[in-house]
Amino acid sequence: MTPARAARLAAVFLLLVALHYTLRPALAWRAPIDFLVIAVLLVAVRARPGVAALLGFALGLVSDSLTPAAFGAGALSMTVVGFSASRLKAAFFADNIALNGVFVFLGKWAFDLIELIAEQRLRGVELLVQAVFWSPLAAAVTAAVGLVVLLAVRPVLGAARA
Amino acid sequence: MPRAARTDTRVDLVLAGVCGVAALVCLILPAPMRNATAAALRGTVVAPLAALQERAELGRKAFLARDEALRVADSVTLRSQRLAGVEEENERLRRLLGLAAAVQWGFVPAEVLQGRGLGDEFTATLSAGRREGVEAFSPVIAPEGLVGMVEQADATLSLAILWPHPDFRVSAMVADGSAYGIVGAHLGGQGAERYLLELRSVPLRAPLKPGALVVSSGLGGVYPKGIPVGTVVSELKTGESYARTYLLRPVVKLPDVASVLIVGAARVRAGLESAWEVGAATDAATRRVVRAADSLAALSRRRTADSLARAAARPESTRKVP
Repeated sequence: MTPARAARLAAVFLLLVALHYTLRPALAWRAPIDFLVIAVLLVAVRARPGVAALLGFALGLVSDSLTPAAFGAGALSMTVVGFSASRLKAAFFADNIALNGVFVFLGKWAFDLIELIAEQRLRGVELLVQAVFWSPLAAAVTAAVGLVVLLAVRPVLGAARA
Repeated sequence: MPRAARTDTRVDLVLAGVCGVAALVCLILPAPMRNATAAALRGTVVAPLAALQERAELGRKAFLARDEALRVADSVTLRSQRLAGVEEENERLRRLLGLAAAVQWGFVPAEVLQGRGLGDEFTATLSAGRREGVEAFSPVIAPEGLVGMVEQADATLSLAILWPHPDFRVSAMVADGSAYGIVGAHLGGQGAERYLLELRSVPLRAPLKPGALVVSSGLGGVYPKGIPVGTVVSELKTGESYARTYLLRPVVKLPDVASVLIVGAARVRAGLESAWEVGAATDAATRRVVRAADSLAALSRRRTADSLARAAARPESTRKVP
């Protein structure tokens, strides 16, 4: 990756992080858009798995610091998602828009599931409803927005590595 | 797989493993340490993001609160408008009371039931009729002056023509008695000018100044002398060469008229010359009485509050036990 491209990727990444802390609370949807997951996946498909894991861990910690009761849960799930995304993308996926959507959907859902299990805040029916209803819904919304973001930044960042 | 690639994969795995373990350690940290770490992050790296989030949430709340604030502002405005209307009505009723005190006898109070329909602006239905002693051709007056004349009296209601009515006529004079004429509606006026009056047949030798008050002259026997009708605005140019015509601004604004007095025939014969002066004096006296009553009430409240405060401050042992 050239320095110019890396700078552009960093700019888009920072923009997505900023959106997570501005647009998301402003919208306050019950199934919120997770810009952090989109940011991690965007970088993960263009970076080495180790870097993606490290970035996911850092971003997860940032996210966790605002919810100290589950401190570490976000870091763990974001690490797993970042690393897995980078590995899977390198191994299986070509640069296909529809597949990217599915990829973001699965990434966000996996993130939520790992976080739900790790933080141990919800139990029983509440956990089930969150895991099989709200989380997929949030994942779908995130995937839709992720696709828009990918389409928007594609001319700037170019296609992801295969 | 080449050795370099294998090394890279190992490095990646190690990095991911370290991150995963670190995250797990964070999860199992004791609460004080977990909170301290989170607080340290919030105070440094996350501070700008937390500030962004706070601003976004405040913005959202402000956006949501805007509608509620608008609703509150609207109701406050509506209430203040109603309050102004009530104060105005109160003032008018006080003045009407003052006029009633000045007229003293021979009148019937009535409410104006205006239809506000097409053609209704020149007539009014009054809430008193023959049963209350109202007769046709009785003058209708308000605290400001002449409103019109009863045209038809039913048992419980009566119909009055108001001063803009084409049939309205009143023999009038300037308040100092220097000139006489006939007041009628300004039928040639367009738009707002239609709601002015004309003082016709004023002798040429008596030019009137703008602002001069015109009152009923008492001639003709319908309207008693001294009821304010209007004030001179300007002279109207007409084809008449033997008399002048003046444009008058009516003293009574019809949209404000809600309560009136219908003057009976006996009272008309007795005259109402000093009623408006006396009415004004009575009105001033009424205001003084109300102000004095308000002051007394305030003083009484203050004394009661002082007594209660003194009683509360008194030691328990000195209080009387029933």
